[in-house]
Amino acid sequence: MSRRASILALVTAIALTIAACGGDTGTTTTAGDEGTTTAAPGTTASPDTTAAPSTTAEGSGDPIVVGGTLSLTGAFAATGAIHKVAGEMFIERLNAAGGLLGREVQWNLLDDESDTANIAPLYEQLISQDQVDLIMGPYATPNILAAMPVAERYGYTLPQHTAVLAPLMTYACQFPGWSIGPEPNSFIPNQIADALDSLDGAVSTVALLTNESGSTAFISYGVADDPDDPSTLNILPERGYEIVADIPYPPGYEDWGSTAAQVRDANADLVLVNGLGVEANSLIDAMQQLDYTPPMMFALFPAPGPLLGLGDAAQGTLSVSIFEPNEPILEQMDPEVREIVDEFAERAAAEEIPYTVFETQAAASWNAWEILAQGVEGAGSTDGQGICDSLHSTGAELTFSGAVTFDPAVNNFWDTTEGLKQIQGSEWVMVWPEDIAAGALAGPTG
Amino acid sequence: MIELQAAVSGALNGSLYALMALGLSLAWGFLKVINLAHFAMILLAGYLTFELATSTGLSPIATIVVTAPLMFLVGALIQLGYERFDVSELNSLLISYGLLIITVQVVTNIWTADFQRLPSEINPFSAESLAVGSLRFPMPTLLAAGFAVVLVVAAALVLGRTYAGRALQAFGQDREIASAFGIDHRLLGVLLAGAAGASAAVAGMLFPIGGTLTPDLPFEWIGLVFAIVILGGIGNVTGTLYAGLLVGATSGLVAVIWTPSTSPFVVFSLVVLALVFRPKGLFPQKGG
Repeated sequence: MSRRASILALVTAIALTIAACGGDTGTTTTAGDEGTTTAAPGTTASPDTTAAPSTTAEGSGDPIVVGGTLSLTGAFAATGAIHKVAGEMFIERLNAAGGLLGREVQWNLLDDESDTANIAPLYEQLISQDQVDLIMGPYATPNILAAMPVAERYGYTLPQHTAVLAPLMTYACQFPGWSIGPEPNSFIPNQIADALDSLDGAVSTVALLTNESGSTAFISYGVADDPDDPSTLNILPERGYEIVADIPYPPGYEDWGSTAAQVRDANADLVLVNGLGVEANSLIDAMQQLDYTPPMMFALFPAPGPLLGLGDAAQGTLSVSIFEPNEPILEQMDPEVREIVDEFAERAAAEEIPYTVFETQAAASWNAWEILAQGVEGAGSTDGQGICDSLHSTGAELTFSGAVTFDPAVNNFWDTTEGLKQIQGSEWVMVWPEDIAAGALAGPTG
Repeated sequence: MIELQAAVSGALNGSLYALMALGLSLAWGFLKVINLAHFAMILLAGYLTFELATSTGLSPIATIVVTAPLMFLVGALIQLGYERFDVSELNSLLISYGLLIITVQVVTNIWTADFQRLPSEINPFSAESLAVGSLRFPMPTLLAAGFAVVLVVAAALVLGRTYAGRALQAFGQDREIASAFGIDHRLLGVLLAGAAGASAAVAGMLFPIGGTLTPDLPFEWIGLVFAIVILGGIGNVTGTLYAGLLVGATSGLVAVIWTPSTSPFVVFSLVVLALVFRPKGLFPQKGG
């Protein structure tokens, strides 16, 4: 028995090491105006051996190659696919409009396999071997954090889609496509409190559940070693909301039955799940099995499709969003937005992406690409520092988030346009703040 | 009261893990195969259940008519491969890990990495529970407990009261002596591996009933399932069920008394203590 246990421990460790050291097995694709084709590594010569961003003369006719990775396989692949479709659409439109600096844009896209260990080597490869002209960040905060030092080392500007942990994003030339402001740990709980205040006292108690991974724990508890840091746990009581249960749970948690019993026992007006993926779904299922439906729920970063799939059980659930294609919102925006939304739905369906709505993830991706394109045009070259300086001095005009400015003092996190969305009927509806809402915030039930 | 509800919910959840551990424990105990491909079969069965139920409108439970024979075949074929190439206990771990990785990738390619969930029209169980007083027994894990008890009792009867079962036990204890007494270990091994595969189909069927499928689920299962196998005693089918219930109830109780994050610490501390003080598991068999 003990020999077997030793064998198990030893070989499992070896196997896990083998998996972790899988190395560069990413597939390479290039999305140009001809669609996705076999890899065509950048042909633009780098001016020196340290692979600093190219400053090839404008109008040379050589394509501008943007290198980057996305999680095309593995745990993050579902969301990676959204960013891939959004990126391909953006590049096609860009090329149809003449490209960048008069040159065609190609996307040298590698698969990071949802493995953070792959990120740095792949970005090293893109910059030093493939000598791409520009880079685009990967998806998911841990992956973006892994790419950032490589970008900084080589002096590349790094637009990125989804890393919202502002204090950690310290590279002056990283530019977020999704911003919850410089202090998301303060902004989000305050915005929730603002929305709850509008319900005239219908909510007074909160059960807080927190996935102990980086981004969600940061919103619930702030930085780990500072109990006074802004956080949901501090701000909601300050705003008059009593936290009647505080339940942290580990990533990959499965035992929702006992947690549901705890939540039912807390009997809070609002169950606030600072979680990821389908954790809110699992909790709702478990609460239903106990014949318990909380008056109101909030899910921080859920997979949007599966929550809608719960039907009545998830009605009224709140979450955060930077864009929802609700009709009243589309009517106020440029007609191009509707075209983008419709085309994305068609292409996402063709790619068999289950949730085909162009929402926060796709909008963040679009923002990141616009930031990169406008930085290049502003700099008049693909020089990394030039792009960075241009963005710092002029900001960017984003289709889905308006005019934004970048201040290195707050790690370039622009004034957020983030609001709250709510499941109403069969769709997510933007409900807060009122000036960007497409529908009224529905209060607790029961 | 909340502690009782948490213990009940946790124990029922643990029975699902015991069901997953059953085939693994049998293969390890009697065939000397550490078959991580067992998790691949559970995953595959889960997705086949999802596919069959959503495409035909069948109850997910009814899909077992298809998935159990299929996984029996898969399990038997894998065992034939192990026999054909005389794979050692150690190498079986490496090979089956490779099979697991391949399966996860195939599942990802076919069904995508996105979350897959049975619609409530064909899966009414997800929101149902059985009420006894103020206690609630969630239907998905209650079903798991029912199947776990049936399969464990059946396995214990076969192992303890049939020639094949006693032959397997003899083979598990000493291959050479058992062979000298004319035991056809190849046939028995293939049949046992097939049965383990069929049990994987049952566990796989239960997963989409109770939750959401993603291709990387096996990596969340492995730790807890191995803990149950070790605590129950390798090859000890009733011990596996007891260990599953114990681990589940402990995990549930710890979650409400302290926090859910404390549960893995407590459960794996139990495993370490068991390995030190009860290396044959918490529930040793007679003569085992």
